[in-house]
Amino acid sequence: MGKNIIVELKHINKRFAKVLANDDVSMVIKEGEVVALLGENGAGKSTIMKILYGLYHATEGEIFINQKKVEIRSPKEAMACGIAMIQQHFSLVEAHTVTENIILGHCKGKIDFTEKEKEIQALADQYHFDVPAGELVKNLTVGAQQKVEILKALYLNAKIIIMDEPTAVLTPQEADVLMGFVRDYVAKGNSIVFITHKMKEVLEVSDRIIVLRNGKISGTIEEGEIRTVKESELVNLMIGHDLEIIKAPSMTGTDNRKNRLEVEHVSLRSKDNIPLLDNVSFSIKEGEILGFAGVSGNGQQELCEAIYGARKLHAGKVILDGEEISQLAVKERIEKGIGYLASDRYRYGMISGMTLSENILLKASYLKNWVKNGIIKWKELNNYTENIIQEYKVKAPDHEVVIGSLSGGNQQKVVVAREVDRGEKLIIFDQPTRGLDLGAINYVHKTIMREKSKGKSILLVSTELSEIFALSDRIAILYKGKIMGIFQNGELSTEQIGLLMAGYELKEA
Amino acid sequence: MNNITSLLARAFFMSTPLILGALGEVIAERTGMMVTAVEGIFLIGAWGGFIGAYISGNLYLGFLLAMVCGLMVALLYALTTVYMNQHQIVMGTAISILVTGFCTFFYRVIFGIQTTPLKVEVLSTIQIPILSQIPFVGKILFSQNIITYLAYLLIPIILFVMNHTALGLTLRSCGENPEAVDTAGIDILKIRFAAVAVAGCLGGIAGAYYSLCNVGMYTSEIISGRGWIAFGICFLGNWNPVGALIFGTVFGVSEAIGVYVKSLGMSTMPSELFSALPYVLVIVLTVCRKDLRAPNKLGQNYVKEN
Repeated sequence: MGKNIIVELKHINKRFAKVLANDDVSMVIKEGEVVALLGENGAGKSTIMKILYGLYHATEGEIFINQKKVEIRSPKEAMACGIAMIQQHFSLVEAHTVTENIILGHCKGKIDFTEKEKEIQALADQYHFDVPAGELVKNLTVGAQQKVEILKALYLNAKIIIMDEPTAVLTPQEADVLMGFVRDYVAKGNSIVFITHKMKEVLEVSDRIIVLRNGKISGTIEEGEIRTVKESELVNLMIGHDLEIIKAPSMTGTDNRKNRLEVEHVSLRSKDNIPLLDNVSFSIKEGEILGFAGVSGNGQQELCEAIYGARKLHAGKVILDGEEISQLAVKERIEKGIGYLASDRYRYGMISGMTLSENILLKASYLKNWVKNGIIKWKELNNYTENIIQEYKVKAPDHEVVIGSLSGGNQQKVVVAREVDRGEKLIIFDQPTRGLDLGAINYVHKTIMREKSKGKSILLVSTELSEIFALSDRIAILYKGKIMGIFQNGELSTEQIGLLMAGYELKEA
Repeated sequence: MNNITSLLARAFFMSTPLILGALGEVIAERTGMMVTAVEGIFLIGAWGGFIGAYISGNLYLGFLLAMVCGLMVALLYALTTVYMNQHQIVMGTAISILVTGFCTFFYRVIFGIQTTPLKVEVLSTIQIPILSQIPFVGKILFSQNIITYLAYLLIPIILFVMNHTALGLTLRSCGENPEAVDTAGIDILKIRFAAVAVAGCLGGIAGAYYSLCNVGMYTSEIISGRGWIAFGICFLGNWNPVGALIFGTVFGVSEAIGVYVKSLGMSTMPSELFSALPYVLVIVLTVCRKDLRAPNKLGQNYVKEN
């Protein structure tokens, strides 16, 4: 199609200890195009790009830039070749200003900060980025921080920008702005590699799609085919088989059920008195799923912890089945039948170095089920764990393996099983599918729907709008610790929710 | 009045090594490295300084040897922590203990067991022309030794480098987000290694200050926790050279009070009580100090993936 090839990767292999992360991957990046790298977690899409950016070193294989063979040993050498990469987790120094972050490593001797600030501001204005060059990065929104990362690349005159899951942290509007930039930037003859697992944005923005699975390229969609390719075909390339489709929940029959959880005027403040939750009120009926949409960090985790009892309320009440539980300890709330799947599994949900049985026991060690006179009833616990392995199709040899040795999806299944069991009345799911692959996501979704049909109340927090839409009966939007509104699923468009997520009232829009 | 003048002059005199040590610590900690070997670095500085000065008969050669000794210990610490990824607190403490044994042993190997301690002439004061003639202030600030003047001169230099140069920006970034430094194409490990080395040089000189400026001899108790006090001053001073100056002076005053009370020879109160003042002060001030902003990745090693 006449476009010049700038970068060519030939037969790249990358081995981490025993794992083969990239297996004979060959691809090209052409001038003025957006290439999407699509794949599940662990498919090797970030790895191959980190090799190109010099963060990793390929075990085997060659890299050509402008037809010349090159060795890229460090990011510095990659930058010298005009390649920049924006990591999924930004590498910004939060305590420093935008300018300091951008010039880090690219200035010498004495720095004239006012001069540099002007230069950076001019660059930001040129791309219509609303980023104050003198501001501390920690005071910026996530969307603006991403722009700082992009400015870092632009400051170095990068010709190729690699973006790793760039929309994961953005509101739909911010994502649109980003897509706008992507278009402008490639129109000037530059190239962008877009690493993602979201089908929608792939089809929206890319000129070519490369799909990876298990470290290998499982398919390529060329420029001519991109308008005709179906999402289901891409899914098939990504995971190797089709997905079951989850039925959207019925909205009838919930009206005359009684309220299970009532949260009344709950406020919460941080140590330095910053409000984390501000007068939050809502209720969840039996057999109902209330989905909380919002950009992460807007009080979702605090809300879950407040209901679960891990945080002390500053004001307000939490009521379960007509009984106030605001003053109860976590242990007592667990006994009342509240399950809580924390968003950060590694930190709050499991102990990597312990076995599956021990992790099942983790939150129930003081309940009578598994402990008699202070002694653990191993036999019953182990049988129970074996059942979970069967029932949830956990890929694990037995109950004695260490949970840390399982894949993320299988770890999550075990933790979900435990919480589903604890939560006889209410289950709180905080980002239950974060970082999981499509198969595991599907399974977790099915489990949530199953528990709903048993009459349990479910509070679902997710940053993925598609997940909220697929599962919830009603949708609440959190912004800076406030509820922006609660709506029936289907009442709002994606765009309207996006506005609410960004803190705009709907009337203004 | 005379008493107060000499007390304050003494305070600035005693604060010098603490400030030097704390400045080194500030430089290293801003890159994320806690130099927990600081006590050992001080001690080997005192030891090396004395030996160099006693054998050569030249105090400045003593300071040079002290600097080299401090550097060596710091390099051992940096090698094991920065490049071999060992725990910073465990490694630093172990090295400090090793240094204690090393110094005592080799002091005896070199000089044998002495009935009366060997002595050198202490570093003389330099009266700065005109300035030292100012009443009150002149005696306190401008009748000190060369090391004190150099320590104070270092403060604006470090401040400038930290806040107005590319090197300073890199240093500060290393302690906040090593990954950002790495992706910017800078060898973060090299920066940390060098920063610890600088802290070693300054700590070595600080240690020698006790043997060559204060008492003119070496004993194995000569440092007795002052390295740790310098370590604490870095914290209290919020990882800032000016903070190091302020809190270094506070501790200088408290040390001077201890010495002053001892010289009074009061029979009602044991003077040891006042010698304990700096150590008590560390605890009290640390508990009271609130708005500390430690470098984000302080004490955490950085391991490169590849």
